[in-house]
Amino acid sequence: MAEPLTIAIPKGRLTDDAFAFLARGGYAVPNNGENGRRLVLDGADGRLRFIMVKPADAPVFVEYGAADLGIAGLDVVREAERDVYEPLQLPFGYCRLVVAGKTDRPEMALRVERSPRVATRFPRLTEAFFRKRGLTPEVIVMAGSVELAPLIGLADLIVDLVQTGVTLRENGLTELSTILESQAVLLANRASYRLRSDEVRELIDRLAAVARET
Amino acid sequence: MTTEMRSTDRPLPEGVRDLLFADAAAWRSMTTALHETWRGWGYREIILPTFEYAETLATDVGSQIDAEMYRFFDRHGRTLALRPDLTIPTARVVGTRLFDQPLPLRISYVGNVFRHEPPRAGRQHEFTQAGVELIGARGAAADAEVIALAVAALRGVGLPRFRITIGHVGFFRGLLAALNLPEQLTGQLRSAVSRKAEAELADLLAEAPRLASDVCAASRALLHFTGGPQMLHTADAFCLNLMMADALADLAALSGLLAAYGVDDAVNYDLAEVRDLDYYTGVTFEGFAPGLGFSLITGGRYDGLLGHFGPPQPAVGWALTLDRVLEAREVQGVLGAQPAADVLLSALGCPACLTWAASARALGVRVEVDPLGLAPDELWRAAQARGIPRTIAHSQPAGPLAASRLLTLRDAAGERPLAADDWIEVRQWLSR
Repeated sequence: MAEPLTIAIPKGRLTDDAFAFLARGGYAVPNNGENGRRLVLDGADGRLRFIMVKPADAPVFVEYGAADLGIAGLDVVREAERDVYEPLQLPFGYCRLVVAGKTDRPEMALRVERSPRVATRFPRLTEAFFRKRGLTPEVIVMAGSVELAPLIGLADLIVDLVQTGVTLRENGLTELSTILESQAVLLANRASYRLRSDEVRELIDRLAAVARET
Repeated sequence: MTTEMRSTDRPLPEGVRDLLFADAAAWRSMTTALHETWRGWGYREIILPTFEYAETLATDVGSQIDAEMYRFFDRHGRTLALRPDLTIPTARVVGTRLFDQPLPLRISYVGNVFRHEPPRAGRQHEFTQAGVELIGARGAAADAEVIALAVAALRGVGLPRFRITIGHVGFFRGLLAALNLPEQLTGQLRSAVSRKAEAELADLLAEAPRLASDVCAASRALLHFTGGPQMLHTADAFCLNLMMADALADLAALSGLLAAYGVDDAVNYDLAEVRDLDYYTGVTFEGFAPGLGFSLITGGRYDGLLGHFGPPQPAVGWALTLDRVLEAREVQGVLGAQPAADVLLSALGCPACLTWAASARALGVRVEVDPLGLAPDELWRAAQARGIPRTIAHSQPAGPLAASRLLTLRDAAGERPLAADDWIEVRQWLSR
C-alpha cells in the first residue's frame, strides 16, 4: 500500500470539526480516545496520516511539504503568508478578525488616531490594516489573552478573533471594524498537489461534495 | 585546542553559509555534471558579473524580486545591486553584445545570486542558480529542447525522482479575454486560480455579470485541467478563442516531441498554473521532487525580455536552484561521500617517496603525504581519522628508491610489503 497522505490538523477549536468533516468525506479518523497526547496518528484505512499542530503552524508544515495537506483558519493562513494552495473553503470554524477597543472610548474614527498601540496575535494583518489607512500602529505581539491589554492600559486597541462577541462584551470591549471574515480552509503543498495528484484530487472532490451538502 | 582559543564570536551575517568538504564536493560534482550535460547539447557557458547597475537588474523582474535586491552605491553615487538572478544579465549580454551572432544562441550559466528573502528549503539569501537560455527560436521544437534538457540535467546530477509540470500562459490569458471582467474581479480571479482555490473561483464566477454558458463552463473546469497529455484533448472542447486553441496546439506539439526525447514519463501538464503571467509569453514549467515541498527548477518562454536590451528575440530557458536539488537528492537517499585520499604516505626523510607519490598521482590515485613524520601506528590512526583507507610507510629512509625496494602497506586487512614498482596493486585502488 502507498504511503498515506499527511494532513496537518490544528489543535484547538477546529480539531473536532476537522475530524468530523474528514469522516463525512469517507476517511478513517482517530477516535476521541486516541486523540490525546500523540502528535502523529494514522487513519485506520491507511489513507491519511494526521499530524497535530499548533493552528498557526499548519501553513508552515504544508509549505515545507512536511504535511501534504492541512486544515487551518483563513486568519492564520493570511497571517502566515505562506506559499501554499488553498483548494477548498470548509464550512466550519466561522469567525471574524476584528479591531476592538474599550466600550467607553471616545467616539473617534480609527483613521484620526495618532499612532494607536494595538495588541494582537496577528501582527502582519494588523500592520497591513492600519497602514492601508495611513496609520502607523505600534503593534504589541501577544501569545494570548489579548482582551486584557486595553483593560490594564497596555494597548489602546486589540485585533483578535471573534465568534459570538461574548468575550469582548464581558471584558468591556466593542468591535470597531472587521478586518477579515474567516473560516476553515483546506491547504495543499505545491509539490504534493502535483506529485500525488490523484490522491489529492480525490480528497478535494470528496470534501467539496460534503461541503456542498452542508 | 582549549576553549578559550576557540573563536565562536565570529557569526556570519544572515542568509549566507559555508559549504564544507562533503557539501562542497557534492556542489562541485553537481556543477560538473551539469556542464557535461550542457556540452552534450551544444550549450556554451558564460560567466557574468556579481553586481551591476540596479536599474539594469530590475528590468522586468517583477515587484517581489525588485524588493528583495541587495542595493548599494558606487563612488559616484550610482545604485548598484547584487544580481538576484542570471536571466536578466544574460539578456543584457545578448541584447547589447551578441545581437548580431548567428542564431539560435545556446547559453548556460552557473552562479550565485542574492535575494533578501526568508531562507526556505536550503535557499539562503545567497544561493546558487544554474540554467540555460535558448535564444532566437520560437515554437514547440525550441520549447521541447529546453524542457528535455531540464530533465536530462536533473537526471545527470543524480536526482532519482522528480516531475516537471508544464503550463502555458496563453490558455489562461485567452480565458481572461473571453471572460472580459472588470479589472478588480480579474485580479481576484487570478489570485484564486494561483492558489487553486476552487470554491472561491466558483463564487467569483457567480458574481460576474452575464457570463455566456461556455465561458462559465471553461472557467469552472480550469482547475481540473491537470494531468497527462490526454488532458489536453479534454481541454480542447473548452477552447473559447484562438489564443486558447493556439496554447493547446503548442502543448500538443510539445508533448509529441517530449515523447520522442524520451522524457514524457517525467512531465505532466497544468493549464491553471498562472504565477508569472506577466513575465512569460508562452510555455511555462516548474519541477518538483518527492521529499521537498518547494520547486527545484522553473522556466518558460519569455519573448518580451530581450527587447528591453536590444533587438527583440524569442527566448526560452530555465534556472534551477542548486541548493534545493542537493537537498532533494539527500532526502531521496543519495548521500555524498566525505572526500578523502586513497592513501596516506609517510615521506619525511625519504625524498624518493615523493617520486613514488608523483607516479601514483599520474595514475589518478589520490595521495596525501604526511608532513609530521608520524610513526607507522600513528600514521594508521591519522589515516583512519580522516577516512583514508590505507597507509604506506618506508623502512630505509636514505638512498634512492630502487624498483625492487619494499614499502610497508597497511589497510583494513593488516600490514604487508608492497614493492615500489607494483603499479598493478596501486591501480586497483582506483576501482572503488
